[in-house]
Amino acid sequence: MSRIVVRDLTKVYGDLEVLSPLSIDITEGSFVSIIGPSGCGKTTLMRIVAGLEPATSGVVEVGGGAPAEARRQKRVAMVPQAPGLLPWRTVEANARLLLDVHRAANPTDAADPVDLLREVGLGDFLDAYPHELSGGMQQRVALVRALALHAPVVVMDEPVAAHDEITRAEMRLLLARLVEGRGATVLFITHSIPEAVALSDRVLVSSSRPGRIVADIDVDLPRPRPADVEDDPAFIALCGQVRHALHGGRS
Amino acid sequence: MNKRFLAPVVGIATFLLLWELVVRLTDVKPFILRAPSRIVRHLVENAGDFAAAAWVTALHAVGGLLIALAVALVVGSLMAASEFVEHATGPVLTLLQVTPFVAYIASVVLWLGSGTPPVLFITGLVCMPAFAFATVDGMRSADPAARELLASVDASRWEVLWRLRLPSALPSLFTAARYNVGLALIAAYLVEGGNFANEGLGAIGRRAAALNEGDTLWAAIFAMALLGTVLLVAISLLQRVVLRWHVSQRTVRT
Repeated sequence: MSRIVVRDLTKVYGDLEVLSPLSIDITEGSFVSIIGPSGCGKTTLMRIVAGLEPATSGVVEVGGGAPAEARRQKRVAMVPQAPGLLPWRTVEANARLLLDVHRAANPTDAADPVDLLREVGLGDFLDAYPHELSGGMQQRVALVRALALHAPVVVMDEPVAAHDEITRAEMRLLLARLVEGRGATVLFITHSIPEAVALSDRVLVSSSRPGRIVADIDVDLPRPRPADVEDDPAFIALCGQVRHALHGGRS
Repeated sequence: MNKRFLAPVVGIATFLLLWELVVRLTDVKPFILRAPSRIVRHLVENAGDFAAAAWVTALHAVGGLLIALAVALVVGSLMAASEFVEHATGPVLTLLQVTPFVAYIASVVLWLGSGTPPVLFITGLVCMPAFAFATVDGMRSADPAARELLASVDASRWEVLWRLRLPSALPSLFTAARYNVGLALIAAYLVEGGNFANEGLGAIGRRAAALNEGDTLWAAIFAMALLGTVLLVAISLLQRVVLRWHVSQRTVRT
């Protein structure tokens, strides 16, 4: 129900070819990262999968239907790069935002945002306003806002890119804990090799623009992954593999 | 905190004191300039009349502001939604702002009759453009990430307007309101004066000017100044409550 299939997708803006024929098949419930150089069309791909932008050519299916249809049914939850919190809403109200609009399409099993906020350590900040939070806390609210939808597909566009290394490491563990066992299909866009390997079942390496997939690397590290997974020789080897693919993919 | 209240009081008191001194120490004729103490005395002696008239003028000004705001929200939303509408409407609004409304008061009174309708019409008309421009700017300033997010769950246009664009426009609307308060009071005063209804501070001022009653005229001017101050303070208080989340309202700690 939540498989993502992309076949021969291209995207052209005027004279600019952003995505050259690109094919991906993401099985239901798997966590797949796309890593690639800046400007390789990762965000464009995410927006097409989320139904926010049409493809120039090719086929994109989300849960067996068109992305626009999945969007209308609120079946794709998005975590954007900037948290995009509304400054006049409290933490709790921000976490509810996606449930508050287009209510007709809300799932019957939507999660309680307050429970999720407690789970990510924001239980004491329910009535706080975004400007009272640190950047990492704001991003956690953005994460809860997406997960509260209980959507079968979650797309994340470098949700932790703007943070320092300590915050990133915390977010990585938090993401792993929140997403593992929830059964959602996750498309995760990142710049960071360790982040991609630590979180994913598969890492897709994209070339520079126009983006195409130059490597498809399975991450067969067992789950749940411990906090010190990054010291695991298998982890280090996988990171090396991704790095080589990334460099080889550059023209 | 104390300094924020003290400074304006000191400023105004000094201004009035200098004025008083100039009048007392020089031989200026009362029909050119009279002492503030004399004006205040006249105002206090006729407090009841002035209070009743000020209440009418306040209702006219606030009514006109609310009408202007309501119309501007509709016009501004349409302008923010369509560049064509924006480019077609913008120049008309600018014309409204720069033409001297005093010149067409008589025509509007002949059209709408005397009393409240022409006052509200002109006050609303002249205050509308600033609100409309503020609505457009504010709505355009809505966070793109939040817009994208609402689009990702197929929020309706109405929901985007209500949940994102209108709240985004609140800071600029308050800025416009502060500017418009003065304009609304002046418009209400002038139309009351150019009216046959004989109500409001404008009517008192107009009659006093015609009959050469300087004390009454200046008392009306002082009453207008007081009214303007009260309205501005009210808007500031409202702003502090409504915009408590906004950068402009956060207390700066040094």
